[in-house]
Amino acid sequence: MIDQETIGLLMKGVNAVSWQSLVMIGVSFVLFYLAIAKDYEPLLLLPIGAGCLLANLPLSPLVADDGMLQSLYNMGVGNEMFPLLIFIGIGALTDFGPLLENPKFVLLGAAGQFGIFLTLLLALLLGFTQNEAASIGIIGAIDGPTSIYVSGILAPHMLGPITVAAYSYMSLVPIILPPVIRFLTTKEERLIRMPYSSRKISRRTRIIFPIVVIAMVGTLVPFATPLIGMLMLGNLMKESGVVERLTKASSNEIANAVTLFLGLAIGSTMVGEDFLKSSTLFILILGLLAFALDGCAGVIFAKILNWISGGKVNPIIGAAGISAFPMAARVCQRVAQEEDFENFLLMHAMGANAAGQVASVVAGGVLLALMGAGG
Amino acid sequence: MDNIGWGLQMTVLGMGLVFALLALLWLLLTLVLKLDKEPEVEVTAQEATVEAERIAAIADAAVGAQTPEPPTVKGMPADLVAAILVATHRHRQTMRRQAAPLVRSVWPGSQLFASRWLATGRARQNNNWQPRGR
Repeated sequence: MIDQETIGLLMKGVNAVSWQSLVMIGVSFVLFYLAIAKDYEPLLLLPIGAGCLLANLPLSPLVADDGMLQSLYNMGVGNEMFPLLIFIGIGALTDFGPLLENPKFVLLGAAGQFGIFLTLLLALLLGFTQNEAASIGIIGAIDGPTSIYVSGILAPHMLGPITVAAYSYMSLVPIILPPVIRFLTTKEERLIRMPYSSRKISRRTRIIFPIVVIAMVGTLVPFATPLIGMLMLGNLMKESGVVERLTKASSNEIANAVTLFLGLAIGSTMVGEDFLKSSTLFILILGLLAFALDGCAGVIFAKILNWISGGKVNPIIGAAGISAFPMAARVCQRVAQEEDFENFLLMHAMGANAAGQVASVVAGGVLLALMGAGG
Repeated sequence: MDNIGWGLQMTVLGMGLVFALLALLWLLLTLVLKLDKEPEVEVTAQEATVEAERIAAIADAAVGAQTPEPPTVKGMPADLVAAILVATHRHRQTMRRQAAPLVRSVWPGSQLFASRWLATGRARQNNNWQPRGR
């Protein structure tokens, strides 16, 4: 006969269900919906959703000390290895040619990082600690691996919401940027056509570029060395052309495997008791604000450049000075063509966008340096 | 209030450093490009856009770049390209109707094309009203 103890054991899972875990399971369904139905960053949001679901099931052995999700976290998130491995893949897929053709656009990338520091200020006003505020601010880098890397060092307890905010908002770039651009620019400014001149970038320059960036940034901001080092390593492999197998592996197999592990590990940090706090809501709101502020700062800086150059810079490209490569550039091109179908800004916007990618990593390193952390 | 002061300090220092570092990078890149001595040539905006699209297509594979973007053909929204194609086809059909009788099945200039006079003559020969043999 089945005794009371056996029934108790059979019902152990059901008895351990809490309202927090139910809400988090609901959150995982939202992530699934965004990934599958809306196609928002499916590569990351689907594994994050799965990690969140698996971690919040009652008595989940996967998040026990020796559970698989906990092991993945220790293996690559706790020691920052996964975001760095992803950076090698990103470097291997990024062509910095548009930036090399127009090096002055590197400044637009710098302007696009204002959101980080303005959001940091807002987070401080809301009562977050300095480390937490810096971690929330880094969402404004609009760069998933940088956000994970910096927040993993400064505020590991906030890694879940920060990662979710960073990646899901990245998908919202086409929705966030156009109203910001339209609000800050006049129709005349949006109609400005920028002249094109193409400079053939030699293989030698393409190889020198990552080496110069690593040497310069690594020397001046040692805290940024892991981030910039891996990004530029991937790019050096691509441009050298001598390690095609490694380049392909970094941008495909390694990146795919690491993305799966990273998503699951991040999702496993979204446990109800830690996630369902008012601070999570603030993080999500501040993250959204950081994105918009980046776009605003970029456009305003581009307006200044336009004024200095005597009307030769279309301020729209300022919004591309963020890290979301190449979608921010495409959004700028689309906004420009809404006003004038024959206005082609894509190459200029790509230059600013590539600069934003380098600048976001530099900003992450600067933030860590100022906080006296990392390295 | 101390925290806000610290935050302002961080903002000024942080953005100052980011700008200084990237300005230095700009300088270094300009120097490298000067040493490279590759000539600068004028290209059309369309040519530059096609090249930019090629670069963007490669970067699209990166994690964090999967955005639900509407499909494009050489920078133009795919539905617009489809609309242009349909409009062009309709225009071609209209031109053809206006330029020749509806029965014409080949475009003027084709070796199969026959003028109205020639077509009428052939029709008369083929459909003679007089009985055969007279």
